[in-house]
Amino acid sequence: MQRGEDEAMAALREGERVSRRAVLSILGLLGMAAAAGMSVLGVPEAALGQGTLGALQPEEKVDETLQRLFGGRAMKDGSNVIKMNIPLIAENGALVPVAVEVQSPMSPTDYVKHIYIISDKNRRPMNTRFSLTPELGVASVGTNLRLGETTDVRAIVEMSDGTLLMAKREVKVTVGGCGG
Amino acid sequence: MAQVGKVTIRVPPDIKRGDVVRIRSLVIHPMEIVQRQDGKPVDKNYLFIHQVIATYNGREILRSDTTQSISENPSFSLAFRPTEPGTFKITFLDTHGGKYEGSAEIKF
Repeated sequence: MQRGEDEAMAALREGERVSRRAVLSILGLLGMAAAAGMSVLGVPEAALGQGTLGALQPEEKVDETLQRLFGGRAMKDGSNVIKMNIPLIAENGALVPVAVEVQSPMSPTDYVKHIYIISDKNRRPMNTRFSLTPELGVASVGTNLRLGETTDVRAIVEMSDGTLLMAKREVKVTVGGCGG
Repeated sequence: MAQVGKVTIRVPPDIKRGDVVRIRSLVIHPMEIVQRQDGKPVDKNYLFIHQVIATYNGREILRSDTTQSISENPSFSLAFRPTEPGTFKITFLDTHGGKYEGSAEIKF
């Protein structure tokens, strides 16, 4: 039993799947773990924070990201109402400016609710999601992205009535900005 | 090196009622990226800004859920057509409980 627990603890630290039986046997170590300044399951307190791997989006292909975020809902071509400003070639993938403007009345019954920025080739494709309100009066936002490599960058707009619109541009990246 | 959490806001001067204003803000922050060891991601509590909230006279006007694929010292800009004078405030929240704020007055 002791060896099984050690192996399960090591497996937990490596982030691998652990059998339910192994987890239950680890829970028996709770008292010792608490005394050692660790949390439930013997994982250091910091590992349960909001920036830990479990709290991040998963590493996945962009098709999986789109399925997860939009569940297969129809996406219309938004290139007539969405203006994307992003360079064709980014010398430094760590800082790629993007600006997205959407033509919209921004009235209480007809406004841009969300603008998603998604970079297909990033390990975790969603860069950010903006949530807008009619009080803005206009829909125009911007930020700087990290791009890992040459990729399509999509702006996906969700309107207040649930309609999804998309525009995208390819950005060639000379030096990737996502490190490892 | 500027201090982590320092917020800068730029609002243009001479705003007239009805104008669309471009507001730019920046916060000094490392926006830590995932480290890899032997091809696998290292599990730790990465320090990055994960939420940005902009308010006007206390009402939320824009929010951004952000990730590590936003640049270090992140910059955000928005266009806004204020219908009354007031206080624009932006709050940046990070994964370690950090909260950094800045505000600017808009007068007509």
